[in-house]
Amino acid sequence: VTAPSELPKVPKSATRRSLVLAASGALIGLVIAGYGLFSTKGTRIGGVPPEAVALVNLRPILRSDFMTQTEAQFSLPFAQTSREQRRKILEDMINEELLMQRGLEMDLPSYDPDVRNALVAGVELEVTAEVVAKRPTAAEMHAYYESHRSRYSSNGSMQLRDLVAKLDGSGTLDSARAAARSAAADLRAGQPVDTVMKRYGLVDSGRFMTAGHTDLGDIFEFAVRAKVDDALYDALSPLKDGEIAKPVVESDGLHLLLMVKHRFPTAQKFEQASDGVWRDVKREAETRVRAVNIAYLRHRADVVVAPDYAP
Amino acid sequence: VAIALALITIAGAYAWREHGIDLRLVRTDPARILSDAKLLARAVDHGRSLYGEHCATCHGAALEGSSVRGTPNLGNNVWLYASDPVNVEHTILYGIRSGHPKARNLTDMPALVRSGQISADDARDVVEFLESLAGARYDVPAAQRGRIVYNTTGNCFDCHASDARGVTDYGAPALTGPTWLYGGDRQTLYESILNGRHGICQAWIGKLTPLQVRSLMLYLVTAPRVARSGARG
Repeated sequence: VTAPSELPKVPKSATRRSLVLAASGALIGLVIAGYGLFSTKGTRIGGVPPEAVALVNLRPILRSDFMTQTEAQFSLPFAQTSREQRRKILEDMINEELLMQRGLEMDLPSYDPDVRNALVAGVELEVTAEVVAKRPTAAEMHAYYESHRSRYSSNGSMQLRDLVAKLDGSGTLDSARAAARSAAADLRAGQPVDTVMKRYGLVDSGRFMTAGHTDLGDIFEFAVRAKVDDALYDALSPLKDGEIAKPVVESDGLHLLLMVKHRFPTAQKFEQASDGVWRDVKREAETRVRAVNIAYLRHRADVVVAPDYAP
Repeated sequence: VAIALALITIAGAYAWREHGIDLRLVRTDPARILSDAKLLARAVDHGRSLYGEHCATCHGAALEGSSVRGTPNLGNNVWLYASDPVNVEHTILYGIRSGHPKARNLTDMPALVRSGQISADDARDVVEFLESLAGARYDVPAAQRGRIVYNTTGNCFDCHASDARGVTDYGAPALTGPTWLYGGDRQTLYESILNGRHGICQAWIGKLTPLQVRSLMLYLVTAPRVARSGARG
């Protein structure tokens, strides 16, 4: 073992030189890092790739885009444009790229509604492009029509009256039921509605109104459906002209529904319905693709919902 | 060792030279390449094999296209979009209605009858009008009615031009025959108006290298010329 006293001595000047060199290295490193940080010039690579006409923070501006833009701007074949014209387009494209990158840097899409909308519309358009493009074949349309036949019919309409035998202080359910039964018999016998109403003290329910008056005209079936509950609609829909539905008890009395006139919806043949089928096939395909896309995005996303809105 | 070094040097020099030519092909303005026989020949050779590999399935081995698919003939010098090198290269890069935001998707042949814009009878009349333009036999009163529909409610003139010679800015083909994208018979024309058309060419950006796109473009731009000289020969 060598004793410390026997080790060769390092001269003081050599120690100082090492320290100075290390400190200089650290200083130069700091200066370069600082320059890189605060100049925001980004990293440069050797040169512009052959297919690009410029690189803006490493994003290429393609020659093809540049040439198309130049032709479009000056309405001239690219070969006939001057160097000045080309330089102008290039400068514009560089500026545009810089502004776009600045927009991303500022996280513009996160708060600017216009940018958000444009982005959302762009993505949706890209997702649905293929479906929008596709024309359904005759076989696809026929298959769709067959499986959705009920959808393709003309609009039916009804002329109807909803008469009520009121359950006021004087009347009981039994007396109302008796009045309704007699009124129904008279109506079936073809007596005028107004006469029967007067005779049995019936009033119009006000369920089917138009412009403040009882609607005595044709009402589309979908509108009737919107105004009555499912059970009542099911009772009404098979009624033919002059038929009366079985009286229904509601909170205000016994309702007597008279079908004055019923124009039933008629099923459309494929030839008549084909335009609608065509639109529906496309609309459904679009909806499907959108849903798949959203499902995929949700699947890979981390979405956390506040407890009060958690599903 | 000396021989091996010499061979490596020669191979390296050759590869470097080839690389230089490829770079020149991508960097040079397309119009100038057309007048550089050597560069053009190299690109066309390369482009021909690329066409066979990527495009012939739809456009046909002899560039003849297919009226069943609605793919245009690329050898007859009838272009849907502008035929200059810059525009053809743009079409190859981004495609037609390909879903790429830069694709050519400004217009689309709408389903005029399906959408209710015109009636089926109107469409039949327009077909007669088109037959009259194409020099075929036609029903005169129907064609006269069809001409009115073409220029009014049908809005056909807006894309196909009032003289029906088409507008390459929109990719709207001429409707005067004898070249038809989907066929010029009455039934096919009627179906085009009934259901619309929506031809698609995929975007090749990212699938082909810039050099391949450039070569393919030069092959396609020169193909009609070659086909014509071949026909004459």
